[in-house]
Amino acid sequence: MYEQIASNRAKTVFIIIGFIAFITAVGFAVGYYVDYRYGINSSYSILFMVFALILAIIMSFSSYYYSDKIVLGLTRARPISREENPQIYYMVEGLSIAAGLPMPRIYMIEDEGMNAFTTGRNPQNSVIVFTRGLLDNLDDEELKGVISHELSHVKNYDILLGTIVVILVGMITIISNIILRSFIFGGRGRRSDRSSGGGILTLIFLIVGIALLILSPIIATLIRLAISRNREFLADSTGALVSRYPAGLANALKKISKHSEVRTASSATAHLFIANPFGSKSKVMFSNLFNTHPPTEERIRRLESMSLGVGVK
Amino acid sequence: MVTGVIVVIAVISGIVILLILIGIGIYNSIVSLRNKVDNSWHQIDVQLRKRYDLIPNLVETVKGYAKHEMETLQNVINARKIGIDAKTVKEQAKAENMITETLKSLFALSENYPNLKADQHFLRLMEQLNGIESNIAYARQFYNDMVMQLNTRIQIFPGNIFARIFNFTARDYFEIEEIAAREPVKVQF
Repeated sequence: MYEQIASNRAKTVFIIIGFIAFITAVGFAVGYYVDYRYGINSSYSILFMVFALILAIIMSFSSYYYSDKIVLGLTRARPISREENPQIYYMVEGLSIAAGLPMPRIYMIEDEGMNAFTTGRNPQNSVIVFTRGLLDNLDDEELKGVISHELSHVKNYDILLGTIVVILVGMITIISNIILRSFIFGGRGRRSDRSSGGGILTLIFLIVGIALLILSPIIATLIRLAISRNREFLADSTGALVSRYPAGLANALKKISKHSEVRTASSATAHLFIANPFGSKSKVMFSNLFNTHPPTEERIRRLESMSLGVGVK
Repeated sequence: MVTGVIVVIAVISGIVILLILIGIGIYNSIVSLRNKVDNSWHQIDVQLRKRYDLIPNLVETVKGYAKHEMETLQNVINARKIGIDAKTVKEQAKAENMITETLKSLFALSENYPNLKADQHFLRLMEQLNGIESNIAYARQFYNDMVMQLNTRIQIFPGNIFARIFNFTARDYFEIEEIAAREPVKVQF
């Protein structure tokens, strides 16, 4: 448990440093390009690098403090009030007491699919998000199972890592897209007036271009590295310890696996959800590349063995 | 000869320093567990106080409809008073079980008074009390988990040595005594 928290903190720091290094390197590459092209003096590369470094640090800090808001915005979640659904407030309140956590804020996504996730940088700033489909279709014991699972993510600090990954990896994708495009279009436009040094230049940018192309699968690997499947198993079992009723979550997962699609989910946020938001029988490419979730059958099987079959539907 | 003595002294002092560091680690872990127990007790206390605050309100509401049920009402009031006055964990647990029982009989009694059952204020109080009731159960679960961790730490070796030196004592569990209050989780087949 405490090892899990420490490992999550270490991974978060590692990812932030990796992000800053990457952005700085890109800044240097762009500066180097400008240097090479206009050849006035060699200060552009340094200037761009420092600028990129400052930008990356600002981005990292803002993603640490505002990532939950961005994620909530991306998935179009809205807060629900105690008056609107007192039942869910009682359940979340009770289970967060049982888990020894402060009460998280409660949000909802207007979607018929059944799913849930948690975000935030620490337990004091955590947000638990349900879809309307989940709240409508699950009974109390099943909901308690899902809530305990999500609270375990809060307790293990999975939420910090998961949320930071969404933002930083998302930014890298955007930046590499911009550079790749400007390189392709910019390169074509100026081919005619290129000087004799163009040969080396083309070579350098071909390498940079290839590197950026290689980047997308690396990002996918990064997500998988950060969001290991074990994390879900761990949250399942810690959650069962909180709710003291593993069958609740097992039954919930059975229901959820039939219809877990969430329209507002994207490949950047998929790993946050309790079940694959692209559905269990999703497109081949996604299920192979981003299998951030272990097979539901395996999760149910483990929960059933915890409950010794008691209460399983 | 002299170097031999220095090596021996260095080794011994190294071992002593290592033991002191391990000791500090164990001591700190016991203290931090003890604070967790205190904090989780505070969580129970918060919920209990919420319930104490609602009870007079509830009694007044019921009085308006069921004047003749003074005995049941008095039982609730008495149980509340015992709960407020309780000093130890055991006393508190006993009192809380009493409150739960007396509240149950009060709610059972409300079945005989349709007007009371239809009262919006009464319904809201009942809902709040049910919510607090389950929160108490959850807080108790967390408290007992923490007590178990602390007790295990100060009963196994080498924690037991530190417990004796620094006078750390095992804590009491917050137990449910009545069989009725020990209702199992809903089992569905």
